[in-house]
Amino acid sequence: MADSARYAYAVTRGLDPAALTRGAGLLGERLEVVSAHGLDAVVSDVPLAEFSEEALTRNLESLSWLEKVARGHDDVVRLVTTSGPTAPLRLATIFHDDAAVRDRLHEWRDAIVEVLDRVDGRAEWSVKVIAPAADSPEPDTSEPTSGADFLRRRKAQAEERGRRGAEAVRVAEEVHALLCGRAVASRVLPAQDPQLTGLSGVMALNAAYLVEQAEQERFEQRLNEARTVHPDVLIEAAGPWPPYSFAVLEQS
Amino acid sequence: MTEQGAGASPTRPYSASVGQYGRPQPANLADILERVLDKGIIIAGDIRVNLLDIELLTIKIRLLIVSVDKAQEMGIDWWRNDPMLNASQAELQDENKRLRARLDALESGDDRDRG
Repeated sequence: MADSARYAYAVTRGLDPAALTRGAGLLGERLEVVSAHGLDAVVSDVPLAEFSEEALTRNLESLSWLEKVARGHDDVVRLVTTSGPTAPLRLATIFHDDAAVRDRLHEWRDAIVEVLDRVDGRAEWSVKVIAPAADSPEPDTSEPTSGADFLRRRKAQAEERGRRGAEAVRVAEEVHALLCGRAVASRVLPAQDPQLTGLSGVMALNAAYLVEQAEQERFEQRLNEARTVHPDVLIEAAGPWPPYSFAVLEQS
Repeated sequence: MTEQGAGASPTRPYSASVGQYGRPQPANLADILERVLDKGIIIAGDIRVNLLDIELLTIKIRLLIVSVDKAQEMGIDWWRNDPMLNASQAELQDENKRLRARLDALESGDDRDRG
């Protein structure tokens, strides 16, 4: 049995293999192209010692291993993106050999072409709106005088949180609408848990936008406009990303 | 990377992310994981990663932290002891069980409805 397998990062088309020499795969392995039906899959060798089913099950639970592989995967996907429309594959898509990669390209050809058409000339932006946890208006530190007093205070605090939450949602909707005006598609992602992000605030929006290459600067301008209009929230943007959030196969 | 008039640069580098103050920063790990684990094209490879575990992992990561340091500092399994999260953990285990049962059924040959 072979002791290595083929790890596939992304599918593209019209790839110039020379573009791949500017980067390397996981563990520094050489990037290679497996082509079939006009589609190019970017692959590299990975050792089964680390990427067999058993090893993966173990390794995926290690955050440092996961981070290394996730960043390595993302690096290659980004490299491919500089050369043409790119459909990123999900982490740890691994085949025994190139023939298996070709089989799968054959099987999924139409769906992949559809994805490539959708993302061609476009990039993803990640935008988060974070409403800072406002300081309690009057930090009442005195001991509650009674159970009823305690409950009254709790209720007032909850109402205050509710008001702030509602305001954050309203701002998030405005920002989202503003950005959608410069995007060809958008997806709202689940908020990353505010309690745990280390950010003392409410993540009112975690969204991805698919933006035309030619519209990138105008999209960034919109971001700045949104920041000007809503100085009270933090608007975090990252991009351009490879179009991960928009390279999802439509199940038929 | 200024506002405008910098001329059209058709292939902007896909590397720097831009924070609020326009300084490049390495892409946030939570953002990367959210994408490489959850998005992108899902094609079954020959190596069958246990998807159920991945789903669990993804959710764990969601509950986890933007910064790895913080995660490690807290210990990766801290959430097991958090009563706030135990409910959803129990649900996940339930769902995991149900999905495994379903998977077993499928693997035992009854997968006629696969394309």
